[in-house]
Amino acid sequence: MADAELKQKVEGLIAANPVLLFMKGTPEMPRCGFSMRVIQVLDSMDVEYGAIDVLPALQPLREVTTEISDWQTFPQLYVNGELLGGADIVEEMFDSGELAEALGVDQPEAVSVPAADPPAQSPPLQIE
Amino acid sequence: MIEAALPGAEVEVSDETGGGDHLRANVSAPQFEGLSRLDQHRLVKAAVKERFDDGTIHALSVKTRVSG
Repeated sequence: MADAELKQKVEGLIAANPVLLFMKGTPEMPRCGFSMRVIQVLDSMDVEYGAIDVLPALQPLREVTTEISDWQTFPQLYVNGELLGGADIVEEMFDSGELAEALGVDQPEAVSVPAADPPAQSPPLQIE
Repeated sequence: MIEAALPGAEVEVSDETGGGDHLRANVSAPQFEGLSRLDQHRLVKAAVKERFDDGTIHALSVKTRVSG
């Protein structure tokens, strides 16, 4: 059973952030190759997103996301309250243009090349 | 393991790092018909859950395709 209070917090964050990434590390310093791949995709799309570092509470958050969306691994990208997927699915959707559509932005022209200058993003969110 | 869980599936597993614990699986299965990508991945992950739990695998990249 996941911690009810933490679950409520996570559900609140997902509802409050149209694009929310649960990741290992921070956008500035990802601590996992899969998380880094999702950051590169998001940064190339000029989209504002919230990011939560799951490492300080990895196991409790795993239990929460298992209950919320039946997904155990991180990263996890939520768009408009729905789990889109982990790194594999996000990259597949990016390549096919489905991600741009889901995010309501234009597909970047330089496919798969992360922007040298990442666009502004909201500050990392913390779960207390 | 994936083939046992998804009869008729074609599975290609490759070792990403040479260390044996970061794997990539390309799975084509008839069972994926009509499922979202998320659900297709859930099936594959569920099939290998034991290996994650016992630490044999640390990371698995999955690519799924409907076959059949």
